[in-house]
Amino acid sequence: MDYIASMQTSRVISDDGLRATPTGYRIDVRLPWYRSLPISTVEVGEVSIDGRVIDPSRVKFELEGRSYPLTDMADQVDTVWFVLDSAFLDVETPEPPAAGEHDVSVTLNLYPPYIRGLKRISRDRKTMRAA
Amino acid sequence: MNITANDSGTRGLKLGTTLYALTNEYLSRRYSFEDLLAQTAARGTGPGLEIVGFQSIRGFPVVTDEFAGRFKELVARHKLVPTSLAINADQEIRRGRVMSDDEMVAYHEPQIRAAAKLGFPVARYQYGAGPDVIRRLAPLAEQLNVKLGLEIHAPQHANHPDVIRYREMYAKVRSPYLGWIPDFSSTAKTVPPSFLEFFRAKGVPESLISMAMEIWHGDGDAQTRMMQYKERARGSGADELQLNELSLIFPMFGKQDPRSWLELMPEVVHIHGKFFGFDAAGNEEAIDYAALLPLFRDGGFSGYMSSEWEGHMYSDADAFEMIEKHQAMCRRILAAKPT
Repeated sequence: MDYIASMQTSRVISDDGLRATPTGYRIDVRLPWYRSLPISTVEVGEVSIDGRVIDPSRVKFELEGRSYPLTDMADQVDTVWFVLDSAFLDVETPEPPAAGEHDVSVTLNLYPPYIRGLKRISRDRKTMRAA
Repeated sequence: MNITANDSGTRGLKLGTTLYALTNEYLSRRYSFEDLLAQTAARGTGPGLEIVGFQSIRGFPVVTDEFAGRFKELVARHKLVPTSLAINADQEIRRGRVMSDDEMVAYHEPQIRAAAKLGFPVARYQYGAGPDVIRRLAPLAEQLNVKLGLEIHAPQHANHPDVIRYREMYAKVRSPYLGWIPDFSSTAKTVPPSFLEFFRAKGVPESLISMAMEIWHGDGDAQTRMMQYKERARGSGADELQLNELSLIFPMFGKQDPRSWLELMPEVVHIHGKFFGFDAAGNEEAIDYAALLPLFRDGGFSGYMSSEWEGHMYSDADAFEMIEKHQAMCRRILAAKPT
């Protein structure tokens, strides 16, 4: 079941949330929900940069300085994403990051743990200059 | 047994705010938790204060002595009254596996202890906890002097089968620490026009909206009407994403008679004054407060109602101003003579 795109609770990508790294990009993301959730209930969906979909094995999720392969998130029942905090997606790209503006799209799927059967899909897209 | 120790102030229906209404202000990082407390006091939209544990408190359900001390200091400084701590029945933190009753008891216990530690007389719980789990937690609630209030929210209502299961359990246990928290979403007279405006602005066609509204006002429970709507909408060739988004009006807004709350009145421990927007006369656009509030005022309810603006889901209007309008409306209705 999809939920409506809403206000702060639909925002995924932070303003000015893109940074170039030696191996690709780092994207500042927010939890699109009104309260904190364990990351076992958060799924990183499609990530694309300049229209190119990134292979999920090239994306890592970082919270409070710890990095998780996307496939490990479902087991992290004790790791809570506090609702005010940013998390980061570290994206490895085949070529070094290019200068200028980039079109970034991130989808996060949430499975709020008290609403059985709900998959809440939040897709956000922003054009940003890499800091 | 002393169950009045946590009551404060005068009897009757008193007003307050839940910080959930201020979700956009908070998540945008424009206002910290402490700022929200200060604003609530400065704008006179207390004194009641409800918070969502997993929203306001880092590390919840663990509440450090430092946080608890600071919270009590702020509440005292701002002359606020802690009313309800919203706790959650997160039965599926491991996707695809639902917690056992033992696990659910263990999951709720620290949250109820957090309510006690912070001075909240009520812990709002969710129906997903299950009646057996809540029955097992009643002695702890009594020991901590924290009442457990089931939030009754659309699509559920006072006579919904899920709620009846709790009513049967309450009737057996007969603990003054088990109660109800009516949420007015269950007793709306229509879908908030501001919500429909949001869909129009997103390009949802008028024909789909009027079809949905005709079925919303028709007969049957929420699930039945939602299925009926989806079938008809699909048959008419509506866009699948749009029709799914609009289908939210069926679980989000119930159309029970406001008087349905009367049966629960003796055990009501707190109220969620749900609201979305106002008409030109300053009345809530979809929820009949003029019918609802006197029922509680004259029905013997004593406690707080949190102003719970949920328009933040689809509107970036200033939530502080929405709460001020809501409380002005409530004061006007409550001041009118009983009919």
